[in-house]
Amino acid sequence: MKKYWRCFVCNDIHYGVKPPEICPTCLAKHAYVEISSNEAKNISGVGKVEFDKERFHEAIDKFTEKNEFQVNPDKGKVKMLLDGIFSNEQNYGLKYCPCRLITKDFAEDIKQVCPCNFLIHETYKDKEDGECWCGLFVRRKKNE
Amino acid sequence: MNKRIMFWARECPHCKAMMPFVDKLEKEIGIKLEKLEIWHNEENADLMRSYRSVIAPKCGGQLRTPTFFNTESNDVICGEVEYETLKEWALK
Ligand code: SF4
Repeated sequence: MKKYWRCFVCNDIHYGVKPPEICPTCLAKHAYVEISSNEAKNISGVGKVEFDKERFHEAIDKFTEKNEFQVNPDKGKVKMLLDGIFSNEQNYGLKYCPCRLITKDFAEDIKQVCPCNFLIHETYKDKEDGECWCGLFVRRKKNE
Repeated sequence: MNKRIMFWARECPHCKAMMPFVDKLEKEIGIKLEKLEIWHNEENADLMRSYRSVIAPKCGGQLRTPTFFNTESNDVICGEVEYETLKEWALK
């Protein structure tokens, strides 16, 4: 089961089964102590980070940099999808996939927050021109 | 209600791509589809969710858009398909 952990040196928060051995921010070793979700929430709330569509676009560009996939070069498609993702966040609280409806079972729906783990989607897996279900992410061409 | 439903979403590129096929189909064979938008209409979303046990197993376990669903025969297609495939579904 995933839990919350806090670096006792720099207050980095980690949510996972195990704490990191080395804190990725301050590099302290064995620095993580388990905390409550409430403490994690309050600490995360200290640094207010807003994300508009542009920031999100930058974030997913960065996220794909070292991956075998990239953000779809079709700008029109990307704009449409980001509109959907942001309107879903506004209406339903999370950046839900615009091409799949949430089930209202949170354990299921959390898998549909964008970017989702589309590597296992039948539209991507083992496909040369694979893409995530919506086409926001596409497999990089071999020569790119 | 019309037994042939197209569940679609306003910001879904696959739905946008399928709309011209749907228009063509409606003109060609004179069958109307009930087009229900599901991300901006809670009633339509609840209706789609109510068919989850029938639709999802045929669509990779998900409630994808677009989903073409015949409420009588339970025939389901999801995603972008060829015009002929859509026509075949509609004529069933
Ligand atoms: S299918 Fe694509 S757009 Fe949808 S949540 Fe996954 S990564 Fe995002």
